[in-house]
Amino acid sequence: MASPARTELLGLYRSLLRTAREFCDYNVREYVKRRTSDGFRQNRNLTDPDLIASVYREGKNQLAVAKRQALVYSIYAPKVKSIMELDAAITTNTTN
Amino acid sequence: MALRTAILRHIRVPVQTLTLTGPKQHEQWSVCGSSLRFMSSHDDHLTKEEVIDRVLSVVKCFPKVDPSQVTPDVHFQKDLGLDSLDNVEIVMALEEEFKLEIPDKEADKIDSCNLAIEYISHHPMAS
Repeated sequence: MASPARTELLGLYRSLLRTAREFCDYNVREYVKRRTSDGFRQNRNLTDPDLIASVYREGKNQLAVAKRQALVYSIYAPKVKSIMELDAAITTNTTN
Repeated sequence: MALRTAILRHIRVPVQTLTLTGPKQHEQWSVCGSSLRFMSSHDDHLTKEEVIDRVLSVVKCFPKVDPSQVTPDVHFQKDLGLDSLDNVEIVMALEEEFKLEIPDKEADKIDSCNLAIEYISHHPMAS
């Protein structure tokens, strides 16, 4: 099986990060970003084309899951923001 | 049709005029007329200096970057020791900063501060 091109891999990385941004819950959002970045860095040294193709396919599947869950979670969005987000808002206010 | 007119007649609301005091009203309109043009196209385009400043500050804030090394000519991977994944992350951070959506084809090409500044300063929607 042909291994995916470099631009395809980077495209998958970008799509996953874009989808991560859509989660309304801070914790989930940060988790998806972290998981994406860790997953790609864990497999950065792979050379076997078959293996690369299979992790790429897994990444694609995970992207579909993330997209679906972002939509589902948006229906059950948390009513209050996370303290982490509030903290950012307060610090920017005080610095202004 | 008869029903429609009947309903319309029933729910008709008498016209009310808002009475504003004279000078206040004038002030309002003169402000609107001179400095703000509502519904007009993007007049207040970003200046190049502003774009450079904001791009540099985004790059400096990136966790793996040494802020003292960042200049407008810096190349993300060659000069800052970042990898291609970091490159993607920086471009995404720039997207958030300037409220843009950069298509994949363009985003792949942006690999240095120079190109980022160039792309963003020519983008009509950057803000």
